[in-house]
Amino acid sequence: METPQIDNNATSNNRVIDLSHHLSDEARIRVANPLKDIMRVISECPVTDLITMANGDPHHSLYPFQQFMYEVPSVQDPSDPVTSWNNSGRTQIFHSYKDQDCALPICKAFQYSRAAGLVQCNDAITDFTNLIFAPPNHHVMLTIGNSDGLAKIFRIFGQKGDHFLTDEFSYPGITNCPLPYGVKWVGVKMDSGGIIPEELEKVLIRWDEAKLGRRPRVLYLVPVGQNPTGSTLSVDRRKKIYAIAQTWDLIIIEDDPYYFLRYDISQTNCSSADPDEFIENFRSTLIPTFLSMDVDGRVLRLDTFSKVLAPGMRLGWITSNKLFHLKLGEYTDSSTQPPHAFGQMLVTEMLSEHGWKIGGFCRWLRSLRLEYQNRLDFLLDVFQREVEPTGYASVNRPEAGMFVWIEVFFEKHPRFVREQRSGGSPVVARTNTECLLKELFETLMNIQGIAFVPASMFTIPENPLWVESDGHVPLGDRTRFLRATFAGTEEIIEKGMIRLGKGLREFFQE
Amino acid sequence: MVFLPSTASAASAVDVSLKRSHVDYSRYLSAEARSRLPNPIKSIWKAAQVKPGTINMGNGDPHHTLYPISEVNFVVPSIDEHDPVQSWRSGTGEQNIIASYKDEPCALSLRTAFAYGAGAGLKDVRDALADLNDRIHSPPNHTVSLSLGNADALTKCFRLLGDPGDSFLCEEFTFSAMTNAALPLGIEWVPIRMDNNGLVPSDLERILSNWDEGKQGKRPHVLYTIPCSQNPTGSTLSLERRQQIYQIAHDWDIIILEDDPYFFLQYDLGVSQSTIQQYGHTRAMAEVLPRSFLSMDYDGRVMRLDSFSKIVAPGMRLGWVTSNSYFADKLDMLTDSSSQHPHGMGQAFVAELLGSNGWGVDGFMKWILSLCNEYQRRRDLFMDVFRQKVATSGFATAEVPQSGMFVWIKINLEHHARFSASQTPTVPGGPTTNTADLMDELFRKLLNNGLVMMPASTFAIADRTGMMGSHINDRVNFFRATFVGTDETIRNGLTTFGRTLEEFFL
Repeated sequence: METPQIDNNATSNNRVIDLSHHLSDEARIRVANPLKDIMRVISECPVTDLITMANGDPHHSLYPFQQFMYEVPSVQDPSDPVTSWNNSGRTQIFHSYKDQDCALPICKAFQYSRAAGLVQCNDAITDFTNLIFAPPNHHVMLTIGNSDGLAKIFRIFGQKGDHFLTDEFSYPGITNCPLPYGVKWVGVKMDSGGIIPEELEKVLIRWDEAKLGRRPRVLYLVPVGQNPTGSTLSVDRRKKIYAIAQTWDLIIIEDDPYYFLRYDISQTNCSSADPDEFIENFRSTLIPTFLSMDVDGRVLRLDTFSKVLAPGMRLGWITSNKLFHLKLGEYTDSSTQPPHAFGQMLVTEMLSEHGWKIGGFCRWLRSLRLEYQNRLDFLLDVFQREVEPTGYASVNRPEAGMFVWIEVFFEKHPRFVREQRSGGSPVVARTNTECLLKELFETLMNIQGIAFVPASMFTIPENPLWVESDGHVPLGDRTRFLRATFAGTEEIIEKGMIRLGKGLREFFQE
Repeated sequence: MVFLPSTASAASAVDVSLKRSHVDYSRYLSAEARSRLPNPIKSIWKAAQVKPGTINMGNGDPHHTLYPISEVNFVVPSIDEHDPVQSWRSGTGEQNIIASYKDEPCALSLRTAFAYGAGAGLKDVRDALADLNDRIHSPPNHTVSLSLGNADALTKCFRLLGDPGDSFLCEEFTFSAMTNAALPLGIEWVPIRMDNNGLVPSDLERILSNWDEGKQGKRPHVLYTIPCSQNPTGSTLSLERRQQIYQIAHDWDIIILEDDPYFFLQYDLGVSQSTIQQYGHTRAMAEVLPRSFLSMDYDGRVMRLDSFSKIVAPGMRLGWVTSNSYFADKLDMLTDSSSQHPHGMGQAFVAELLGSNGWGVDGFMKWILSLCNEYQRRRDLFMDVFRQKVATSGFATAEVPQSGMFVWIKINLEHHARFSASQTPTVPGGPTTNTADLMDELFRKLLNNGLVMMPASTFAIADRTGMMGSHINDRVNFFRATFVGTDETIRNGLTTFGRTLEEFFL
């Protein structure tokens, strides 16, 4: 195992590390689309007015679209566009036209296009990325949302027999993806600050390649508002994790859909009318990303419009080094193709001179953040009133995201059992926590009429071959949480917490 | 192995569905598809919806009050024009506005369209397309799932059905961008001979009956075909051939991937005006459109891929897959684990367009008929100019395509002084002519003269079974040309083509 020199100059563009050995067999075998190869030969032809009868593309005069209009909030009022929006505030209209006077005209947007997305949209998003994230030396590729981006990334790095690293509580909608083709997950211990760097290192040091196969080389993280625990990785932890990644040659997948929904930052309260000042201030409220410290090119960062515009946008982007960017492009050309024109047009207009511009989008983001913070405050208030007094559950205030991770004190339950004998497998539970959790979840849903997601849905199965035996508390004994969202209305939150309080009393006082 | 008797037309609907419940479709699936599970969190939503009044605090969905879009409207051609495509192109026609709203009534609310949903796509849109399917194909018993277009659908089908080492069947000239996509998955292609009318059923039979599993591995269980305006040869399979192919698929237990993006671009249809007046455009078109494999699919072995790319626009990135419900479920699981359901605006647009405030299904078929007339006009122009500027020399010939966008131009290389038909192959089974080299020369000559057409070699699938009898490189003396450009492109292009052929041959 090599220990590459760590370059502390985060803005160095000169280091070129060859990371091609990380690619799966499938990614290595994949070749560029042969039709696009011919297109390259053609584009290199010196003849200037080439007649092409090669492509099977409908002519744009046959697209049945003249114009699109989108009605969106006005972000000109610097204080609070989200609240204005919900109180019949001013609106703004964007247009997409057939072939004139807009950032991405219909005649171009609806053609077949290349993997990275339409150049106008890609440029707009690249500008935003460069301004907000300052990646050292990376390229932007459009995706159809983060699920799509992750599914593609897993395929280009993972194959049968591989292990990927992630948080011990993770969203199964994503972690289930590579299981059918033989990739397994290794869950790393967390605390309230997220994944513990020292624990990550222990897993890598202890890894027995003879018994388990190749040491894991991919680390998947949701570093802000982690799903489901709501934790956010501090800057200090990020630096430690990046150093571990360099030492152990890991790829870091930075899945960051909640990045802009971070709370309790005092600078958020400032809101200058001057656009440049506003953007500067907004940037100061953002936490440094893994991408921004990625001198090696080992980070692939995923951003999405799902949580900040709408899930149905089905649009996001991956920022990565050139090699991975090309490989993702090849895979996109051989599968989903680039995203739909509607989404690319809307976003391009939104970020353009005719729309919100980057500054306006940041105003929307700031305003959204304050809105979600209000809902978080509300939930915690009601929780304190209705649930905390029962003494059966507590909750920490998350720094970001959409979820609270409610801890339930099952040891107070009359039927709680803890095995007294010592020794035994470090991964087999010694209490009936998970059983009681399941019962609680069902009684809350079926009797009280409130649905949360129990922590058991998120656990990554432990394996004694990589879990330290000394003092390790089996994950099954620590699976004592319910994930609740504060993304709903106040009515939902209030009723939900009342039912939770009632449900807990009835469950524990059976 | 359980399968249904072949003369399915005689079977009653009740008998067929009883028998189908015994058919085990799981044996066609890849190992990956068999082991894939549904998203467990989504099962909570289903359970939570069972009891009325249940509050769901489980899902991490932004509330619709925070979607920053309250209205999207689309300005489209009016379908009341007599010839909507012509009026549209000339700018003389009326326009309609189709609108989707978040907080006001419409066919598909933006509250729904912009939310997370199931991989299969929104029910309103699926139902509208299932209705279209019923009226055109009357499929025996199938389910619709939305896709992001046919490339997406097809490559997902490859993952669904193919394991590394599998052999899949395809036409020997095919849309190689797609067949190439299957190679990194470890799938190998077995090409089937074609003639002027498309894939030759007897060759398909020959391949399957001679297959030696000991030497060649598992017998192929998937056939990939483009039955209308085959890409690149432009042929459309006749009804007789389709029935023969379906019978062979039934006998050898093959899944048919029916890739049909050009289905709605058909020529010389002879649509009945009186049927239009009495029953509407959908019925009139249904009577003259080709019989799809889906329409004869009593075994549930067809996965049909439809797309909006050629009939609306490529950037729609929207299509639909029609298959038996088991495959549809498995496909949806794969979608839920990857690209997710299609984008909201595209679904909203389709729902509005096909709904009562838009064109409706009949109006959509009227647009399509008008589109067919426009493409037919271009096809006719192409063939006219071809006859005048190219065919007279005898150096090239072409059949008139019945559908789609392609003309498959045959280059009669035997007239060339340097053509050689009796070369010793450099490898056993290799080509015995210098067709490939001469075609490469001609392609570059055309390029230098300012014209691009796609050479057949781009689409050629070489046979690796060693049983085909002749190497495909001896048959690559074709160009695929399209007539989708302007009239000027067609005239100038074919003039250059004719001139270059003369230079090449003389």
